[in-house]
Amino acid sequence: MGGARPRRSAVVLAVAGAAFGVFVLVLVAPDRHPDSTSTLFSGAVGGLYLGAGLLARWRRPDNAVGLLMLLVGIGWFAEDLQISTDPAVHTVGLFLRSASSGFLIPLLLVFPDGRLRRTRPQEGAGAAAVMDRRTRPVAAALVDRTLVVAGCVVAFLLVPVSVFFHASVTPNLLLLHPVPDLHEAVEAVQFVMSGAVVAVLGWRWATATPPARRVLAPLLVVGVVGALASGLDGALGSAREWSHTPLLTVAHLTVLLLPPAFLAGVWRVRLGRTAVAELLRGMPLASRAELREALAVALGDRSLQVGFPAPDGDGYVDTGGRTLSVPPGRQATDLVRDGRRVGVLVHDPALREDRYVLEAVVSAAALELDNQALVAELRASRRRVIEAGDEQRREVERALHDGAQQKFINLGFQLRLARRRLDGHAVGGVGGGAVGGTADGAVGGAELAGMLDDALATLEQGHAELRVAARGIHPVVLSEAGLVPALRSLASDLPLPVDLHATGLPPLPEPIELTAYYVVKEAISNVLKHADAETVRVDLRHDEGLLRIDVTDDGVGGADPAGGGTGLLGLRHRVSAYDGRLVVRSEPGAGSVVSVTLPTGTVIGGEAEAGEAVREGGEGREEEGVGRGGAAYRAGR
Amino acid sequence: MALRIVLADDDPVYLLGLMAILEGEGHEIAARARDARELRAAVPDTLPDLAVIDIRMPPTHRLDGLDAALDIRRSHPAVGILLLSKYVEPTHLRRLLEAGADPGTGGVGYQLKGRVTGADFVTDVVHRVAAGRYAIDEDIQRALYSSPRKRARLDGLTDQHRKVLHLMAEGLSNSAIAAKLSVNTKTVEGYVNIIFAQLGLPSDAGKEYDRRVRAVLMYLDSDG
Repeated sequence: MGGARPRRSAVVLAVAGAAFGVFVLVLVAPDRHPDSTSTLFSGAVGGLYLGAGLLARWRRPDNAVGLLMLLVGIGWFAEDLQISTDPAVHTVGLFLRSASSGFLIPLLLVFPDGRLRRTRPQEGAGAAAVMDRRTRPVAAALVDRTLVVAGCVVAFLLVPVSVFFHASVTPNLLLLHPVPDLHEAVEAVQFVMSGAVVAVLGWRWATATPPARRVLAPLLVVGVVGALASGLDGALGSAREWSHTPLLTVAHLTVLLLPPAFLAGVWRVRLGRTAVAELLRGMPLASRAELREALAVALGDRSLQVGFPAPDGDGYVDTGGRTLSVPPGRQATDLVRDGRRVGVLVHDPALREDRYVLEAVVSAAALELDNQALVAELRASRRRVIEAGDEQRREVERALHDGAQQKFINLGFQLRLARRRLDGHAVGGVGGGAVGGTADGAVGGAELAGMLDDALATLEQGHAELRVAARGIHPVVLSEAGLVPALRSLASDLPLPVDLHATGLPPLPEPIELTAYYVVKEAISNVLKHADAETVRVDLRHDEGLLRIDVTDDGVGGADPAGGGTGLLGLRHRVSAYDGRLVVRSEPGAGSVVSVTLPTGTVIGGEAEAGEAVREGGEGREEEGVGRGGAAYRAGR
Repeated sequence: MALRIVLADDDPVYLLGLMAILEGEGHEIAARARDARELRAAVPDTLPDLAVIDIRMPPTHRLDGLDAALDIRRSHPAVGILLLSKYVEPTHLRRLLEAGADPGTGGVGYQLKGRVTGADFVTDVVHRVAAGRYAIDEDIQRALYSSPRKRARLDGLTDQHRKVLHLMAEGLSNSAIAAKLSVNTKTVEGYVNIIFAQLGLPSDAGKEYDRRVRAVLMYLDSDG
């Protein structure tokens, strides 16, 4: 969205409004009463609204404040038509006699960022929303909208309709039937409306943050002084010359000052400063979309795009991960930190005019992006360390199995064959008839057989020990059959009944499955060591890319939630490296719960895909859910 | 009785050792397979009494041997299956037991690879599987006795029932159990029904074998 169209229409409106103003002023000039406002004053106020509105619109094309100021200016001139003593002009003027206030009410309410307050401030996070931090957003949004609608109804419906029943000094051509006191009634409604708007603004001021107050200040000061002056003047009566003239001057001055006050509020420097302050205060931001939104608000450029370094290191991507390009009519500003380009902003070229804000926002954005990159890098490097450790354990297990264990088995074969050969010899010896050596050979053979049997038994024992050790180093069944069978296998080795509940679990990336496995293993081992429990319950669920594990025991409880054993402490790091959380809840006498949540959406490395495909065979009846969930998971990608 | 055996293992040294042991006892090696594909081809070609299969084999080095064994069970149910593995996992055994649901299905063995050098490997394990019975590694059986609570699940059974269940876990049919215990078959059937009821396995027509498998698994592993 460029600013060209709003700017063009603003120029057209301003020029048309000025021409209309000159026309009205010239038309009604002869009829001005000495008591009413002068041509000069009327022209100055209308002109100021038009000029300030044009400026505001030009500087911030997407902010409705400028447009509304232009409309107020035109409305202001239109109101002067009723001054005319020509019945036709006067009658038209009567219809438009509240035109400016019809636009002034929305103007006051959308000031300074051009939007009404939203029901959900976290979405908009605009200056108005920030001002409402402590109010109830739904109520505030409702009040704003009601006031805007009521203001329009009064100015453009109630007032025009009342024309038919309102007799004035200059003949009203459309008078149907004069209704006494109608004029006063309409004015009373307008007065109540003004009071409500003032009350809303006062409430905003009272609940605003200090930077937001600075934005509201010029308008409120001018408004309050003006209201006081005209109120006081009304109370004292126009007869007293000593008070009437100065008070009227003050009131007129404040009316003159209102457009510049609006302009000052919209002016980027003032708003920009508060926006930058708000931006810095809101950091660090959780997501890229949030960062973009905050920067867009700070710069007042809704269509702002933030380019993040592309994952393949070439070019930039937007918040949705699409490759970012700079469309014609937009400008790109690099986000540089310590000489490195950490990102790019694609924005309205008009922002260049406000170097202070742009530079401040660019620095803040660079800081944030750099920070995000560092955090991501830290996590990634932690994961690399963990995965390298896993790989090492896998290799050690494989080396033990394929190397040492294989040698053990081959040694067993040799011993077994030797043992058989010996049996054969003993049989052969009897039939062979070597008379002298038979007895000696049989005795030696039996002794040798005994030694070989002992060696085989020792070998078997060593083999069993090696198996236990190797299995403790890496759970092979996890890579072979998946997490649930691995946990079943783990449970079947324990001197404690473990109730395992895991249905609909999709195949997950191996580092995540390993983490889950170690969490359960360590939690159960803590239960065995400390809890004196009767049973352990293990629940695994997978919802919307989040794996949740709960290990609950019915033991003595009272474990330190912060510690939970040094083993769990180590696992905390592992869990947090995968963006997860580990919580221990333990009440004395009420058992303990170790809860872990792990995001699984991020697939780490490229091997997970292949691993999942292999496990497609399913896990038999009990784990049917696993197979089905797995299919859905794959299909979903 | 000389058996015709197909061997499947990707480690040639292990394959030769196993061959030497089996041939030493007078059995015939009908075919040797180095991966799951060769094994799948060898069984219909040779129609052996028994296939001795390493669970972990090429091409993926995961559960290729087990998957091939399940296929063989379906296509040639009479062939006895003896799985060998570096670790024994109840979950793999369950899949194999559940794959054969008809009477007359060949035996099932599941043993650690190291056990083949044991003195009773051929005389006990191989012969049992060839005879249509079960030969489950003692490591799996041990899990049952690892906790008093797990044992308690079988508490309702008398010694006699337990003996019957134990023989079921060895893959014996009701008549074989009757012969072993010197009682008549009707008595064994009565025992078996009491065991099913005791273990909470509801009677379901035509699912006799399924209940048997589950009873055995409950016996072998508390997880069943």
